[in-house]
Amino acid sequence: MSPVESDEEDLTRKQRREQSRSERKALEEAEAAGAARRTRLTQLGVVLGVVVVAIVIVLIATGGGSSSNKGIVKKPAAVSTLVNKVEAEVGGIAQQGDTIGAATAPVTMQYFGDLECPICKDFTLGALPSLMQKWVRTGKLRIEYRSLETATREPEVFKTQQIAALAAGKQNKMWQYIELFYNQQGEESSGYVTEKYLQGLAQQIPGLSLPQWTSDRGNGGLSNQLATDAQSANNEGFNGTPSFLLGKTGGKLTKFEYTSLTDPSAFNEAIEKLLKA
Amino acid sequence: MSSRALRITLLVLAVIGLAIASYLTYVHYSGIKPACTAGESCTKVQTSVYSKLAGVPVALIGLLGYIAIVGSLLVPERESTRLATMAFTVVGFGFSGYLTYRELFSIHAICEWCASSAAIMTILMCLSVWRFLRGEPTPKMQTIALSGDDAGPGLTVR
Repeated sequence: MSPVESDEEDLTRKQRREQSRSERKALEEAEAAGAARRTRLTQLGVVLGVVVVAIVIVLIATGGGSSSNKGIVKKPAAVSTLVNKVEAEVGGIAQQGDTIGAATAPVTMQYFGDLECPICKDFTLGALPSLMQKWVRTGKLRIEYRSLETATREPEVFKTQQIAALAAGKQNKMWQYIELFYNQQGEESSGYVTEKYLQGLAQQIPGLSLPQWTSDRGNGGLSNQLATDAQSANNEGFNGTPSFLLGKTGGKLTKFEYTSLTDPSAFNEAIEKLLKA
Repeated sequence: MSSRALRITLLVLAVIGLAIASYLTYVHYSGIKPACTAGESCTKVQTSVYSKLAGVPVALIGLLGYIAIVGSLLVPERESTRLATMAFTVVGFGFSGYLTYRELFSIHAICEWCASSAAIMTILMCLSVWRFLRGEPTPKMQTIALSGDDAGPGLTVR
């Protein structure tokens, strides 16, 4: 064997050794990559499992209207506090049917609402008390409540609850009913608006004659009023609540686009403008 | 897709999500009406009883989630940070799924801001799971040991 042949054979052997080493290394790397991948898949599985369990817990905790807010306040002390709060807001202000405020008030606002609508609750408990004190109590603004079905799922329930409020209006106490409803509004779609709930609200209103109220609930005129309100809303293109019309009393009312339901500034500004006009 | 490009894509999406969640959190606390092309749907969703979870506005929870995702993408990339991004986005996806369920079956209104956030979170989740599972980008095959300790005796480059 020549020295050149020996050298080449030696090189081939070394190359083979190198090749097998690199193959072994590649195999080890592939095994390590496989193990890392399995670890990652396990970690992903753990995260997914935790998320699924969390979602199930949240759904159970928040689902089916089983929240603690089931509506009407029963404890006498709490009822008394609530009734006092409502009386402080609307008590002593002239009412006629669905309207609160002096008939001579120069500005009129129509408030389109659904008693089950949580956004209307935000307005009623948010910006409205300030408007009541500043403008309605001082005889400058009258507010007319108009019914527009939005949040209430079943039309029959909507009709029943709105008529219950309108029936209180027959004794000029509709706004007490509206305020008490929004203050004790239950969780949306939880089916809290029952006959017991509606009667419970009526019983909370000081001075409301219950037999009279019950009798007025069957008054066909109130159903017609609901239809008229729906027609008015339709004419204005309203499909959400609360919606508002504002203008000079006796004149044409125009849409008022609110910017906040809790801050009365925009309402105040618009009313001031109308009073100056 | 390169590791860098993937990270930048995730970051851009997370920042958009962060902006949406910030806006919704602002809307929640300021009491203003959210800008919405679908009538009152956004307001209905934003002010529904489901807009809070255990008393905490869901918009704020979303905001914190996006901050966590952005944070995990800004720190130097490692296996643990990829795991964190993946975990945050999977949790975010689950949360978005729950909220979308509530929009469709409880509130019966869709808020376009929430839907956009849910879509972003879904893409973030898919990309971050892919990024986590693929691990480190595969290093280029090294030339067979030409140097260092691996080089066998007598092996020299001629």
